[in-house]
Amino acid sequence: MALNREQLSELREGMELPELKKTVTREKIKRYAEASRDFNPIHLDQEFARQAGLDGTIAHGMLILAYLSEMMTNAFQKTWLTGGKLNVRFRTPARPGDTIRVSGRIRRVEKNEGETTIICEVLCANQADEAVITGEARITVRTD
Amino acid sequence: MTNKENSKLSQLETGYQFPPSSLHLDAEAVSAYLTAVEDGNHLYREDNIIPPLAIAACAMKALFEDIGLPAGTIHISQELELSGIINSGDSLTSQAIVKRRQTRGKLNMLTIGFGILNQQQDTVLTGETSLILPAAEAGQ
Repeated sequence: MALNREQLSELREGMELPELKKTVTREKIKRYAEASRDFNPIHLDQEFARQAGLDGTIAHGMLILAYLSEMMTNAFQKTWLTGGKLNVRFRTPARPGDTIRVSGRIRRVEKNEGETTIICEVLCANQADEAVITGEARITVRTD
Repeated sequence: MTNKENSKLSQLETGYQFPPSSLHLDAEAVSAYLTAVEDGNHLYREDNIIPPLAIAACAMKALFEDIGLPAGTIHISQELELSGIINSGDSLTSQAIVKRRQTRGKLNMLTIGFGILNQQQDTVLTGETSLILPAAEAGQ
C-alpha cells in the first residue's frame, strides 16, 4: 500500500522513523553470503581479513544497507519501493558481534506541483555509536 | 589475482560499458535473501515483490565477478533509486558503465553506474557504486 494524502499531510520535519536494531553475527554474514552469492573472503575468512588489514571478518555493506531499506519500507511501504532514493557512505565496517541501530529522521518535506518529496537523514550506528552508514533517503510521491 | 583479471581491471576506463546481463531471483532465492536480512515485511511475502536491495546486490555481484575485484577493495558509497516494483517472475536486465576512474597516490577510485530494466524495458532500479581499489592490483 502506498502513502495516501492524509498520511502524507501528517509528515513533519523532525519526525523520527521507527528504528530497527539488528545483531551481526558470523552466521548471519555467512547466510547473507549464500543468499547474495557474495563469497568475498573478507567476509568469511578471518585470516584473509587480517591479511587485508582488518581486525577480522566484516559484514557485507549491502547487508547493512538492506537493514536501512527495510526501515524505509516499513515506514513508507510501496511508496518507498516505487519512489525511493538512497545516497549513503560506508563509514566503518560492521563486525560480528555488533548491534546495529538503524534510524532516520525527516529533515524536510518539499511540496511541489504534482509531487511531494520527503527528505530523511539516515544512520546505521554500532553499539559504540560509531557511524557504519550515513546518508540521505528521499521519497517522491505523486500527488496529482 | 590472475593476469586475465588484472588485464580486465586495467581496461576499465571512464565510459567503459559492461555487456548487459540477465538477472534472475527465483522464489527460493528471494526467501533465502529475506531470511538472511531478517526482513519480515508482508509486501515481499504476500505480494510477491522482490526486495530491491536483493536485485541491487545481484547486479553488483555479477559486475564484480566480471571484473575480478582484488582483495582490499573497499565499498565506500552507494546510490540507489527505486523506480518500480520488481515482481517475482520478472525478466530483468542489468546495464552498467564506468562513470569515473581516478587515481590518487596508491589508490584507485572506481565509480560504476548501473540500471535494471524489466521485460517491458521499464527502468526499475538505478544505482551508482563507488569503490577504492589498491593501485597495485588495479592494473597499473
